Order: sequence, then structure tokens, then C-alpha cells
Amino acid sequence: MNLAEGVQLVSTGILGVFMLAAALGVVLLSNIVYSAFLLGMVFISISGLYILLNAGFVAAAQVLVYVGAVNILILFGIMLVNKREDFKPVANAWIGKAATGAVCLGLFSLLSSMVLATPWQLSTAEPAGEAAVEIIGMHFFSDFLLPFELASVLLLMALVGAIILARREYVPDDEPENEQKVLTLRERPRELVPTGGEPSEN
Amino acid sequence: MLNFLKQVGDYAKETVQAAKYIGQGLSVTFDHMQRRPVTVQYPYEKLIPSERYRGRIHFEFDKCIACEVCVRVCPINLPVVDWTFDKATKKKTLDHYSIDFGVCIFCGNCVEYCPTNCLSMTEEYELAAYDRHELNYDNVALGRLPYKVTDDPMVTPMRELAYLPKGVMDPHELPEGARRAGKLPQEILEELEAAKPSKSEEASD
Amino acid sequence: MSSGIDLQRSFIEILVSLGVPPGVAKVVWMPLPMALILIAATVSIFIAVWLERKISAAAQQRIGPEYVGPLGALQATADGVKLIFKEDINPAQADPILFTLGPAIVVIPVFVSYLVVPFGQNMVITDLGVGIFLWIALSSVTPIGLLMSGYSSNNKYSLLGGLRATAQSISYEIPLALAVLAIVMMSNSLSTVEIVNKQAEYGILSWNIWRQPVGFLLFWIAALAECERLPFDLPEAEEEIVAGYQTEYGGMKFGLFYVGSYVNLVLSAMLVSVLYLGGWSFPIPVETIVGGLGLSETTPWLQVILAALGIMMTLLKAYLLVFIAVLLRWTVPRVRIDQLLDLGWKFLLPVALVNLLLTAALKLAFPIAFGG
Repeated sequence: MNLAEGVQLVSTGILGVFMLAAALGVVLLSNIVYSAFLLGMVFISISGLYILLNAGFVAAAQVLVYVGAVNILILFGIMLVNKREDFKPVANAWIGKAATGAVCLGLFSLLSSMVLATPWQLSTAEPAGEAAVEIIGMHFFSDFLLPFELASVLLLMALVGAIILARREYVPDDEPENEQKVLTLRERPRELVPTGGEPSEN
Repeated sequence: MLNFLKQVGDYAKETVQAAKYIGQGLSVTFDHMQRRPVTVQYPYEKLIPSERYRGRIHFEFDKCIACEVCVRVCPINLPVVDWTFDKATKKKTLDHYSIDFGVCIFCGNCVEYCPTNCLSMTEEYELAAYDRHELNYDNVALGRLPYKVTDDPMVTPMRELAYLPKGVMDPHELPEGARRAGKLPQEILEELEAAKPSKSEEASD
Repeated sequence: MSSGIDLQRSFIEILVSLGVPPGVAKVVWMPLPMALILIAATVSIFIAVWLERKISAAAQQRIGPEYVGPLGALQATADGVKLIFKEDINPAQADPILFTLGPAIVVIPVFVSYLVVPFGQNMVITDLGVGIFLWIALSSVTPIGLLMSGYSSNNKYSLLGGLRATAQSISYEIPLALAVLAIVMMSNSLSTVEIVNKQAEYGILSWNIWRQPVGFLLFWIAALAECERLPFDLPEAEEEIVAGYQTEYGGMKFGLFYVGSYVNLVLSAMLVSVLYLGGWSFPIPVETIVGGLGLSETTPWLQVILAALGIMMTLLKAYLLVFIAVLLRWTVPRVRIDQLLDLGWKFLLPVALVNLLLTAALKLAFPIAFGG
């Protein structure tokens, strides 16, 4: 085993541990702000794994989109709301907890069956490496054109929706009538002084 | 369509205008970079205050007749005049006199109205103290001779802008004995004196 | 195109000739450029701070720092030493973990971005294929640190400042990325080295600024906003929100913000010089000069000189832009937050889109001039 492989192995281990720990923190911590920051750490660990998989572009895109945009928007939402609330204990809370547990177990079993069923042998194809950007672009504009365009239309719709929501201006229902009076300073009306020619000439 | 194009055109025009103004502003700032700094390195260099500078007030105890004119003309009746009436001489004798420079606005009214000229303005302006009560000067503190910038060996005195030769902006490295712009007051007076006899002669003719 | 000096290869060759195995030689080499860049970035702060203070002073007809070191050049060092020796304070109601982590998250991406700044053909830590895109991605991490420090300070001004900083950098990242995209489209590559090489052919005439004047202005405005430089320093607007997210910080934690902002300024200036001003290339192509003098480009001493001149060239261009940024600081008053967002979304973004479309159209129409 040479140096590169060793570094790769150790990095994979560290990134995996980081990712799992941060993900557990996202779920288990009661402080929602911590959860949001840990989510960012999960995303960064995943992008590190992408780098190890020779997918630099995907890693950078992961950081840009998930850390730089999605996670920040989540944080923004949390901080603008910033609601501290003491939750009252609910009667028969165990029903909800049991249901959650059942759903989680079901999901876990589904995922593990999928993990076991997937053939995990490595692809023999040469990793694209630096040329990945071009290949991704080619795919976007040929065989993945429809999903790509659909996604952009979806984003456009979201954008328009956001603009409409943000532009909702306050319009008072009943227009007060006595507000129309023009407000001016109280002062004597100025007499127009004739300039220039003599008044007698007029 | 045409309306839209006009809007776009107007917007572009406004943008160009804004860019032009920013460019003008940049050129102003850039121009200022070529000018010489006007800094006076304060503790080492100090400006010489002008003759009419209204600094700390000097007080001569012996001249004061305790008339309290200074108190009456002061906007806030600041000077404290402590006197006792001497029955024997039927005159007021001054015991204490004090001015609180933490409150004084250095308007100079007291100096202006003092009948015996026992108050005068000095060119001293470094009155900083650690406690504001230290600024309450009594007659001893008021009677101290003022500090002079030109006498301090630690300080390089600098002339103020109005005392520089014509066209000179920088007080540093001024040649020895450089004259200020314009005439000195006494020179104007001398000229007037010289012109007077001829004037009177003309009047007599 | 000449390959220029290749320090890595020469270094490894020397070590191998001394009997060191090639793998070990590479390991010995690897930390060297990283440490060098780290030191260079730190020194660049001192220069930038000194320039800032001296130029500010000159613009206001003052003298500026004068007594610390020759012409006050060590003033920034003195400030740094002072900050290091100050007490490290955590406010009582602050969140200690996030409060400490915030400044680090602001600074680290900025330093990591130096990975892709080239100073010469082989004078770059890594010539990544995604080059400039990595910088855009990394600069989008910084707002998380700002939000973190703003939130954890438990101070309304800090929170406002953090939110403002984030809103600002998210808004200005888009025109920034679009301006870069136009350059990338013309250069057919995301790699910074490739982008510079594409501009090296005819000296000053082939620099991207002539083909992308609008993009240059857009990029510079957006970069100033990303660095929170003065016309856009709303997150720290002292008249409104004390010092924004830095309000509660003191000592070296504040120092990290300070360092981060200046490193970011120098980094942005370097990237402008790489993207638009031909990076390390000379106003007159090197081949012409060297050919005119009758020398060969492969001569070792000439290569060393050319490499040094290339670094000088990059730094010269970068510091020229820093100079313009400082001059702008004393020329343009601070914009309001609504004006800032208006400028970002209603002016820069449409103009950047139009610029991108125009570039694409020109590239199709004149493939020779616009990188076919």
C-alpha cells in the first residue's frame, strides 16, 4: 500500500465518522440551530467523499449548492423566526414515539435490503477526472435535457412565487377621505412683486 | 415596445451618469493624494496661536477691585468673587477669585469689561485634566504665567495658515524670517500716520 | 507556450539524485508550497493594511502611520501582536462553541481559496480542473461563519449584522458567478492557469478586460460586496449596528475577522488580475522580449528571472486593484441595505445575464476573437 492509498483510506474513515456523527447530531440535538450547523458539516463531509471519488466538480457543486445555499437558507429561516417555546408534555406521547420508531425501522430495513441487494463491484470505466465538467455538460444537453429543463422551469416557478409573496404590499381596505388635504406650512400668501417695468405703464 | 426601449435607454443613461459621477469622485480623491499632508505632529510640533487667541484666562490678583463686572457680563455668571468689606477703608478687599474652565466658554466678555484690566486671555489651550474639578482654577492657578509654544525646547513651533507667506500652505521647512502675507497691523498704522499730514495739507488747500 | 520554471520537478529530481525515494521526495515537497502560500497570504495582509492606511491618509492629506518601522510599515504587525496578547473574552450569555468556531469558519475558506491562485505556469499549489469554481464554492461557505458568529454573540446588533452579511454575500455571489461564467465560456476551461494562458498570446491586447469590460466591472463590484469593502460594508455599518457580527468579539477572534477581510480583499484582487488582467503575463509578451534579446526561454537563469517577474506582475496588478478599492472607499458613501439589494438583484444580475448571453452570441459569431 503506497502513500496515496493510505491517505485515501484514512480520509475516508475520518470523513465517514464525521458525517455519521454530524448526522446523528442533526437528528438528536434539541437545539435546532446546532442541528442546522451540523447539517452543513454533513454536507461538507459528503463533498469530501466526492473529492476522494475523483469527482471534484460534484464536490464543489455540493458545497456551493447545499452548504452555500440550502443550509444558509435553513439557518436564515431559523434565525429570523428564532422562537423559543417550552413544549408541554403530551398525554399518550408513547403512541407517537412508537409510530415514529416503527416508520424508522421500516425505512431502515428497506434501505438495508437495498444495500444488500445492490451489486457493489467497482465500475471498470476510467474515472473522468478533470474532464467530468464537460461530460456532465454533454449529458445535461443531450439525454438529460428534459429533467434539466423541467428543473429549471420548477426553479423559475419558485422564483416567481417568491417574488409574488415578497411583493405583497399593504393596501388599506377603506381609504380615509379626510387624508386628502394637502399639508402645507402656515404662511402668509406671498404677494407677487412686479419686477422690472413701472406699474404706471400697465 | 417603443416605450419599453425608451425605459431601457433611460435606465442605461442613468447608469452612465452614475458611473460618471463615481469617476468624478474618484478623480477628486486621487487629486487629494498629490497634495501635501497638513498634519502637525502634535506633541512634537505645535501651532503658534494667533495674537487674539482666546485661551485660558490670566488673572492678576493685585489689580482686582472686586467690582464683579466680570460676573455680570459672564453669560453664566461664572467667576466666583469672594470679598469682604473693609469698614476702616470703606473698600472691598478681595479674598478669593476663581473661574471654572470646565464650564467657561472662553467668550472673553469678562476680559473685555474688566475696568482694571486684571483679566486677560492667554494662548494656553492644553487644559486637559484627569478630574473635572481640577479645571476649577483659583486665583493662584489663574495667576500663573502662560506657557509659550515658542519657548518650549521640546516643541517645534509652527505658524498657522494665516501667518504663512503668500501661496505657502505648509508650515514645515519655512525659511528663517519669512514674512506673512499682507501687511502687519503696525505697518498699516505707520502708513496711515505717514498719509495723515499730506491729507491734512490737502484739506487745508 | 513555454512551460516556465517547474520547482516541484526540480526539487524532486534533486532529492532523488541524493538517494531519496521519489515517493518520499514528493511527500517532502508537498507541505512546502502550502506553507509558503500561507506565509505569503499573511504577509499580503500586512502590505494591504499598510497600503490601506497610507492611501487613506494621503487621500485625506494626512501622514498615516509613521513611527512603527520604516514609514510605519510595521504598524499592522504591532496591531497583530496587540490583538494576540489581548484577553480572549467569551460574553456571559454567548454560545461558547459557536462563538469560537465562527471566526475560524470565516477565515479558513478564504485561505483555502489560495489553492487556485496561480503566480506562474507551475507556480500554483494545484492546477485544479474546477479551479475558479472551487473559489466560488468556497466563498459561499463564509456566510455560515458570519451567521454563526452573529447568532452566537447573543446580541441584536450581531444577529442583524450576521443576517445582513449573509444576505449580501448570497445576493452578490450570483452576478459574481455569472461574470466568471462569461470568462470561462471564452477560455473553455475552469482552470485558472488555463484562463491566464488564454490571455497571454498578444500581451496586453489579449487580456480579457478588453473583451469583457462589463464583466470586469460587474466582477469588481460584486467582489467588493463579497469582501464587505466600503461602499458595501453594511454588515459592519457602525452608525447603525455598532460593528455588526464583530460587535462582541475582541482579541484574536476579532483579529481573525480582520485578517479574513484583508486576505479576502487581496484574494479578490488577485483573481480579478487572473481573470481579466492576464495574471502573471506581461503587457508585452515574454516571447517577444526574449526573442528580441536573442535568448532562449529554456535558459535556467532566465527562467528564474521570468518566474520572479511573473510573481511581481501578479502582485502588482493585485495591489493596483487594492489601491482602487481603497480609493473607492474614500470616494463612495455607504449604500443603504435596500439600495444594496436593489443594486444586486435589479441591476447587477440582469446586466450579468445580458453580458453572459452577449458573450455566448459573440463566441458563436466570432469564434476567433472570443475563444471558439
